[in-house]
Amino acid sequence: MQTVDMQQLKSGEINLGTSIMAVQFKDGVVLGADSRTTSGSYIANRVSDKLTHIHDRIYCCRSGSAADTQAVADIVHYHLQMHTQQSGDRPSVHTAATLFEKLCYENKDALSAGIIVAGWDKDVGPSVYNIPLGGGLFKQPWAIGGSGSTYVYGYCDATYQDGWDRDQTVEFVKNTLALAMSRDGSSGGVIRMCVITEEGVERLFIPGNELPKFWEGVEVLPPLSFKPKQQDPSGPVPMAVEA
Amino acid sequence: MTSFYSGPGFDFSNTVRNNFLQDRGLPLPKATSTGTTIVGCIYKDGVVLGADTRATEGPIVADKNCEKIHYITESIRCCGAGTAADTEFTTALISSNMEMHALSTGRKPRVVTAMTMLKQMLFRYQGHVGAALVLGGVDVTGPHLFTIAPHGSTDKLPYVTMGSGSLAAMAVFEAGWKPDMTREEALELVVAAISAGIFNDLGSGSNVDACVITANKTEMLRNFVRPNERVTKERSYGFRRGTTAWKKEQIRSLIVSEEVVKHGEAMDVS
Amino acid sequence: MPDGSFSHPQQRSFNPYTENGGTILAIAGADFTVIAGDTRQSEGYSIQTRYAPKVFRLTDRAVLAVNGFAADGNMFVKKVKQRLEWYRHAHAKDMPLRAIARLIQTMLYAQRFFPYYVYNILGGIEEDGTGAVYSFDPVGSYEREACRAAGAAQSLVQPFLDNQIYFKNQQAAPGQSHPLHLPLSDVLSIVIDSFTSATERHIEVGDGLEMYVVLAKGRSAQGLEGGRGVQELTTRTDGDRVFVIRRELKKD
Repeated sequence: MQTVDMQQLKSGEINLGTSIMAVQFKDGVVLGADSRTTSGSYIANRVSDKLTHIHDRIYCCRSGSAADTQAVADIVHYHLQMHTQQSGDRPSVHTAATLFEKLCYENKDALSAGIIVAGWDKDVGPSVYNIPLGGGLFKQPWAIGGSGSTYVYGYCDATYQDGWDRDQTVEFVKNTLALAMSRDGSSGGVIRMCVITEEGVERLFIPGNELPKFWEGVEVLPPLSFKPKQQDPSGPVPMAVEA
Repeated sequence: MTSFYSGPGFDFSNTVRNNFLQDRGLPLPKATSTGTTIVGCIYKDGVVLGADTRATEGPIVADKNCEKIHYITESIRCCGAGTAADTEFTTALISSNMEMHALSTGRKPRVVTAMTMLKQMLFRYQGHVGAALVLGGVDVTGPHLFTIAPHGSTDKLPYVTMGSGSLAAMAVFEAGWKPDMTREEALELVVAAISAGIFNDLGSGSNVDACVITANKTEMLRNFVRPNERVTKERSYGFRRGTTAWKKEQIRSLIVSEEVVKHGEAMDVS
Repeated sequence: MPDGSFSHPQQRSFNPYTENGGTILAIAGADFTVIAGDTRQSEGYSIQTRYAPKVFRLTDRAVLAVNGFAADGNMFVKKVKQRLEWYRHAHAKDMPLRAIARLIQTMLYAQRFFPYYVYNILGGIEEDGTGAVYSFDPVGSYEREACRAAGAAQSLVQPFLDNQIYFKNQQAAPGQSHPLHLPLSDVLSIVIDSFTSATERHIEVGDGLEMYVVLAKGRSAQGLEGGRGVQELTTRTDGDRVFVIRRELKKD
C-alpha cells in the first residue's frame, strides 16, 4: 500500500500541499508550481517560491514538508557547488537527481519530500527526474507532483505531446497548474514558472487574477428575467399536503 | 570513578528516567510558552519588528512584561514565539556564533547567515526545539525579513507574523500593508498588528515592544505602547505586624569574630 | 485508513462539552449578598464575546451565577427560571432561597449521567433576612457558605477570599477578634480587587464585571443608590432589593 500519508507530517509542521510540475521540450525544460504553503488550514505563505535553485541550469520543485525539502535542497546545492569547484565543470541533471534520490531514499523514515528535478546539461540536453515519497528515481518527459497533481493526471495524459516548442510547453504547464489549483484546496495563489535552456534561466509569473479560466459551472438559480411557464391545468399538480 | 566531563550541547541523561515516570502516569512539567504575537515588516529604509509582552503557563500569565525581541547582532534582531526557554537559548547561541563569525571573517554578518544557522539547528532537532522565530535585520545587501518555523522551514516575505496571535496580526497586515512605507507608517502598522494580537488572542497581552532597524541605527523601543496599565486597587493589603502566628522564638548572633595573627613579611604591592 | 480499507479498528467520538472560561464569585454579608461574574466568554485562545452575562436575577431575593460550559449554563438558568415561574403561579409568591437551592440540586442530579457542565453559585437573602451563598458542583452536591469563587480563576481567587473574608492565616490583634461579617463597601472592594487581580494573571478573565447586590428588606441602600454604574433591578423599596453594578475590566 502506498499512500501520500499526510498524517506522517509532524503536528504543526508547515506543509507544501502543492501542485508542481516539470516538462521537457526540445531546447530545455519548463518547471512550474503554485505558491501556497499551509500549516493546517492556515495559509502561512501565499506567494511562496517552490521552484528552488540547485545550480546554474538545474532547479527543483518541492512538495511535502517545507522543512524537509528545504534542508534536502540546501544539502544538494552544497554538494553541487563543491562538485563544480573540484571538477571545474557544471554538474549534469542526472548527478543532481541522484544526490536527491540518495538523500530521500536513505532517510525515507524521517522525510516527507516529493521532489521533481529538472534542468539542462551538455551531456543529454534537457531532462526531468521525478523523486517521489519513498526515494525512487524516475526519468520522465513530464512529471507532476504534490496533492494537486492527482486531479490532473488525466488532463496531462490526454494533452501532452512530444515535440512541442517553448511557448506550447509553457502554455501546457500554466493550464495544468491552473486546473490543479482550482480543484485542490491546499494549492493556490499564483503560478511561478521557470524556463531553463542552454542560454539561461527565465522566470515567469502569473498573478492569481490572471490564471487561465476553464469551465466554472453555471448559475444554479435562473436569471431574474426568467419567468416560469404558466402551469398547465391538465398536467400534473402538486401533491396536497395537510396543513 | 565517575567522569566529570560533560560534552557540549543538550544533556539526555534524564530521558530514560523521565520516560519511565511518564509511563507511570506522572505528567511532565509544563514549559513556559510564549503564546505570542510577533511580527515583522519591511519598509523604505529598513525593518520594523514587533512583539507583545505576555508569557503564559497554560491559562496563567507567568510574566506580564517579558522581552521577546532578542539580540542577534547590532543590526539583526529576532522575535521568538513558542517554548520560552527554546527561543531564548537558540537566539543566544546563534547570537554568540554570529559574533564569532563576524570576528573571524572581519565583516558585518548578514541576515541570511543567522537564518541559515537557525534553520539548520532547528531542523537537526526535528521540531523538539520549539522555537518559532521572526528574524529581521539590515546588512550589506539591504533589509531582510524571515520566519523560521520550529521544524526548520523558512519563508522570506515583506511582512510576517507568528505565534498564537499571528492570524489576528496578519489580518491587519493584509488590510493595511503597502510597499515603500515610511518609518512612521511601518511602525504604526506594526503597533496595530501587535495590538490586534494583544486584544483578540488570549495568549497575547500587555504591552507592545518594537524595534526599528536601519542601515546605521537600531532602535529598541521597549514598551513603545502600554495600553494595559493596571487600575489602582480598591483596598491596600498591608498586614499588621504580628499577623503571622509563631510557635517558637530563637535569636542567634550572626556576627563572626576572628583574630588575625600577623605572619611573615607583607607582600610588596608597590 | 487513507486507502479506504477497514483492516484496523478506528474510533470516532464527539465531545458535547467545551469550557468557556470566566470566573464567578459570591460573598454573603449580615443582611446582604454580593454575587459577581466577569462577562468574557472564550473558547481556547479566542474570545467569543466580550459581554455574555453569567449572573442572573431569579427573584427579588435570589441571584444565580453559572460558570463552565456556556450553552449548558444558559439552558440551565432558563429551566430554573421556568420552574420558579410555575412556583409563582401555584403559590402566589416567590420561592424562598433555601428552596431554590434544593430545587437546583434536584435539577442537577436529574442529569447525573449526562450532567450540565456548570458550576452554580446561588446568592441572596434567606427568609430570616440574612445574606446567604449556596455553591454547587455539576451534579448537585451543595452547601451554604459565607463566600465562594468558581470557574477559571477559582484557584487564584478562593485563597484570597479565605484570607480576607474568613481571615485565614491572620492572627487577630491581642485582645481583639475578627469580625463575623464585613460591611458592604468592604465586600464590594474585595470583589473588585478579586476580579482586577484575576484579570491580571488569568488569560480567560476580563472585559467586564457585573456585581449583583441583594439587600435584605429594610436595609438602607446608602452608598449604593446613585453610585457609579449602579442600576436597581427591583421596583419596590419595601421588600428585598436587587442592584447591579457594572465595571470595565482589562481587555487583553
